[in-house]
Amino acid sequence: MQIIIQGLLLSGLYALIAMGFTLIFSVGRVLNLAYGAYLLIGGYVYFTISQTFGVPKLIGLLLAAVVGCLVGLLKYRLLVKPLKGDHVAVEISTLILAVVLQAGVVFLYGDSSKILLPIVPGVTHVAGASVTYNLLAATFASWAILIGLYLFVRKTHVGRAMQAVSMDNRGAAISGVDPDKINLFTWGLSGALGATAGVFFASYTQLSPSMWVAPLIISVAVVIVGGIGSIIGTLVVAHIVGFMEVLAVAVIAPELRGVFTMLLIIVVLVIRPQGLFGREEL
Amino acid sequence: MNLRWTHLAMWLAFVCLMMAIPEFVSKGTLRTLIFANFLAIFAISWDVLSGRTGYISFGHPFLIGIGAYTSAILTKRFDVPIEYAIPAAVLMTMVGGIIVFLPALRIKGSYFALVTLAFMELMYQLVQVIRPDLTGGTRGMSGVQTLTRGAVNGYYMSVSLMLAIAFSMWLLMRTQLGTALSAVGMNEESVRGSGLSTTKLKLFAFLTSAFVAGLGGAFYVHYLGSIAPRALFDINFLFTIIVAALIGGASTIIGPMLGAFFLTFLLEFLRPYLPGAERYFIYGTIALLLYMYEPKGLIAIIDKYWQRTRGTFARKQEPGESL
Repeated sequence: MQIIIQGLLLSGLYALIAMGFTLIFSVGRVLNLAYGAYLLIGGYVYFTISQTFGVPKLIGLLLAAVVGCLVGLLKYRLLVKPLKGDHVAVEISTLILAVVLQAGVVFLYGDSSKILLPIVPGVTHVAGASVTYNLLAATFASWAILIGLYLFVRKTHVGRAMQAVSMDNRGAAISGVDPDKINLFTWGLSGALGATAGVFFASYTQLSPSMWVAPLIISVAVVIVGGIGSIIGTLVVAHIVGFMEVLAVAVIAPELRGVFTMLLIIVVLVIRPQGLFGREEL
Repeated sequence: MNLRWTHLAMWLAFVCLMMAIPEFVSKGTLRTLIFANFLAIFAISWDVLSGRTGYISFGHPFLIGIGAYTSAILTKRFDVPIEYAIPAAVLMTMVGGIIVFLPALRIKGSYFALVTLAFMELMYQLVQVIRPDLTGGTRGMSGVQTLTRGAVNGYYMSVSLMLAIAFSMWLLMRTQLGTALSAVGMNEESVRGSGLSTTKLKLFAFLTSAFVAGLGGAFYVHYLGSIAPRALFDINFLFTIIVAALIGGASTIIGPMLGAFFLTFLLEFLRPYLPGAERYFIYGTIALLLYMYEPKGLIAIIDKYWQRTRGTFARKQEPGESL
């Protein structure tokens, strides 16, 4: 029972983390290896605003999202667009950027990790498992955001344009959608999502300059296994990954936490490169 | 093969220059140079695989780690003499190279890069958990037998290894095989169309790369005398290798060496101003700007200036790839 509850909560968080990454990968067709840096930025912005200056938490969260969004927009304009869709170049330059941002955080805040106070304090007990309100809030926020995103992509004009660009760039352009604008929008959205996820993730673990690697790996796993352009796929796989981790920790050994995630990435990529839910792509 | 005596003379001059360096510089600089030599070896190894064939490896520390760990475990835990431990480590790394090669049969591009990244993280976590009595777990191992004592000897060892590897890779790349490898990077389908087996070519590239990585890794651990998982399977380390190869100039031999020396000295130069990990901020920014400005690397920039000073009317220069 405890495993199920913990698994559900962790998976909710992971779904939120992976969402922004999936968006970019589906629409822009590039791997944004600096995605983890949004979480880093989000976490530290929230830390500065809410914990150091004592601004209300909701405003801190919003500001973190805004900063993440801005970083995403800048990244698209300054990095991705000049490289004109050269995938390898984008991957390498975003990897470099992530290291640069990490060093920037070290520069500003120091090397040691910081504890982020829970966004929603308090603990409750559900069926014998102690659950912090904080993680519960993260899960609810994650579900709310995911449902919102799903409706947005399905129902609104912009969302459908995003789908169109993700399917076929040129086709979308012919139908009067400006792929450049949609890409820009997606990068911003992804940045905002990443930063929001970062706040929750940081309050779940802790703030440290190297906190971006683990979520990046999780996002990669979710996207690879879930496949391109599938929000439902992202959600399902986030739960697979989350439950696998919780099970590994509970049943085998805490140290093996990430091992199964890696194995899952490798196996799925080799056996079914288009992912479990994705369209035929390669 | 088309060897020319000018090339050999340039190599000879280069070797003499590198060998003469300990006479002129301090011990501290030598230590920096040793690190640059090893970085150059790793960068060459990365370049043989990724720079030539276009299969970007984000998991090169995986291969280097296999080499380093195998040799360290053999000498420290089983008292195998170093002469046998290093070849064994190289063989193990080549097995690792085959493991990395398997996904390359089916996937390429971004997906391949991700699999290799996953390999590296997997290795990082497994090394800490499986048989900590052998690997030393999270803390790694120290007191591994070292090959040399003192900076000067260490320098000679590392520089000879680097030069030997660079020269043999250079020879290799000038054969038809080398040309075919680069062709795989440009257009795999047309290589297959010309009746060559891309599978065999790729396997060859992976094995060569693993060979160099294993050799570098094993010697590196026997130079340092210690090994730690976090320092090895680290994104910063991976980043340094890739950036060294790219900044210098991918798919050349001199490029990765140039990049490795440039980066190592940049890092050293920044040390007095920024002692900690903040250095990577400046360092990464410079790397990023250079990469955005000229993806072909320093070698292309130097080549351009060279051309300009020689005057464009002069006879056609040797292209940058000649070395």
